[in-house]
Amino acid sequence: MTTGPRIEDLLRELAPQVLGTLVRRHGQFDTCEDAVQEALLAASMQWAEAGIPVSPRAWLVTVASRRLVDAWRSESARHRREQTAAALELPGQGQASNRDDTLTLLFLCCHPSLSVPSQLALTLRVVGGLTTAEIASAFLVPEATMAQRISRAKQSIKSAGLRFDLPPEPERAERLRVVLHVLYLVFNEGYTTSSGPALHRADLTAEALRLARMLSQLMPDEGEVVGLLALMLLTDARRAARTTADGSLVPLAEQQRDLWNAAQVAEGIALVARTLGAVPIGPYQVQAAIAAVHDEAPRAEETDWPQILALYQVLERVSPGPVVTLNRAVAVAMVHGPRAGLALLGALDGDERMAHTHRLEGVRGHLLELAGDTAAARECYQRAARMTASAPEQRYLALRAAKLA
Amino acid sequence: MKYMIMMFGSAAGMMESKSKDWVLEMIAFMETLNADLTKAGELVDARGLADGSTAKTITFKDGIPVATDGPFAEAKESVIGFWVVDVESEARALEIAMHVVAFTHGPIEVRQVMDEPPEM
Repeated sequence: MTTGPRIEDLLRELAPQVLGTLVRRHGQFDTCEDAVQEALLAASMQWAEAGIPVSPRAWLVTVASRRLVDAWRSESARHRREQTAAALELPGQGQASNRDDTLTLLFLCCHPSLSVPSQLALTLRVVGGLTTAEIASAFLVPEATMAQRISRAKQSIKSAGLRFDLPPEPERAERLRVVLHVLYLVFNEGYTTSSGPALHRADLTAEALRLARMLSQLMPDEGEVVGLLALMLLTDARRAARTTADGSLVPLAEQQRDLWNAAQVAEGIALVARTLGAVPIGPYQVQAAIAAVHDEAPRAEETDWPQILALYQVLERVSPGPVVTLNRAVAVAMVHGPRAGLALLGALDGDERMAHTHRLEGVRGHLLELAGDTAAARECYQRAARMTASAPEQRYLALRAAKLA
Repeated sequence: MKYMIMMFGSAAGMMESKSKDWVLEMIAFMETLNADLTKAGELVDARGLADGSTAKTITFKDGIPVATDGPFAEAKESVIGFWVVDVESEARALEIAMHVVAFTHGPIEVRQVMDEPPEM
């Protein structure tokens, strides 16, 4: 029983729409979600054999509704009465568009009351239409563990009495920020080497891109949504150049730029150009603009560092933080020399937030190397290698230290 | 983030110094803990190891790898079991470890598993 990519894609696109319809009709997010999963499974098996029905969405809604009724039947009468009562209390706003349903589900899955791992897992399953097994393998945990994580998240939504509504206007911006952060984390989780067990994780990058693209179609006027999509495109475009065949990391300056995905670069740059005038400007837009400047340079030496430095200054105003300062120090070093960059790093030494990350030492090593102080650079790289929890990064830092021996 | 929670001790020593009731209680405690971690969607793996006295250690001597009886570390206590958990923060991993130590009174080492993606 093979499921062609076309059926898979169609099912995953329809999954949040079908769930939205059911929840709107019956309430009970958790029970509906189970019913939709079963309907998707039935579809992936039956459609591969019998072909895609004329109205796939209606097919799924019908089958999922039937499963829902089955689920209700199998519960006790007392339970059923309670659920019927609950269903009647639903905010029956009548017909809403698929657009709103998908958005509402996304906001629900990224509700701030859920833990971050739960937000990620639930979003991938409910809005992304991935199976529990696929999500488990992407995060390298047993399927039973991931099933529990998802079921627990659904339970939290139920017990917190969260409603199937778009967040009201005053909360909207803050809630959208959480949604974007979740998509960013999914992307970042997948943005790793393309070998061994990490292979599965590359799918997360594709999934994050798909969801960001969908969100930007739903909210085309939100600069940050478009900014995040552009940032993902411009970053993912470098994937093929970012690692060697054995999985070693290649830094931006040494990447073979003809391996970059030109179509993704072009799309990302076009999106950046479209949002750059938007007000108010947000951190994803600025980061995308920085990525665009990098990607526009045909060779590393031709990078417009003064432009990047100016953008980091904007970013530091919009979204200040030690990591931004750290990146700005690199830009300062490229424009005004490594010593100027190192001076800026000094400001981060006492920062608690940098105490447990390898990044500060990694950047300091790089700038010391540029300044010609190889002994000190080597020590920094070694310290950074000890601090990172990323295997490819550790290997990279250890190699840089070894090169200076 | 994944963490390995390594429990140190000696199964042989435990058998000598602890009562049967304590051992039964300990087994129940571990079973409950693992069930709770699974329910929370946090458990990746949990294993108990055979006593350290049964370990073999391979070292490189005179140009060849050589196996000798006994655990690597000289200390009386070696790793006797471990959990790998996938949790939201280091604080949560430490909380799980403290919960175990409060029961066993034995030392535990908590270390992050290298599975973070490299920075973008």
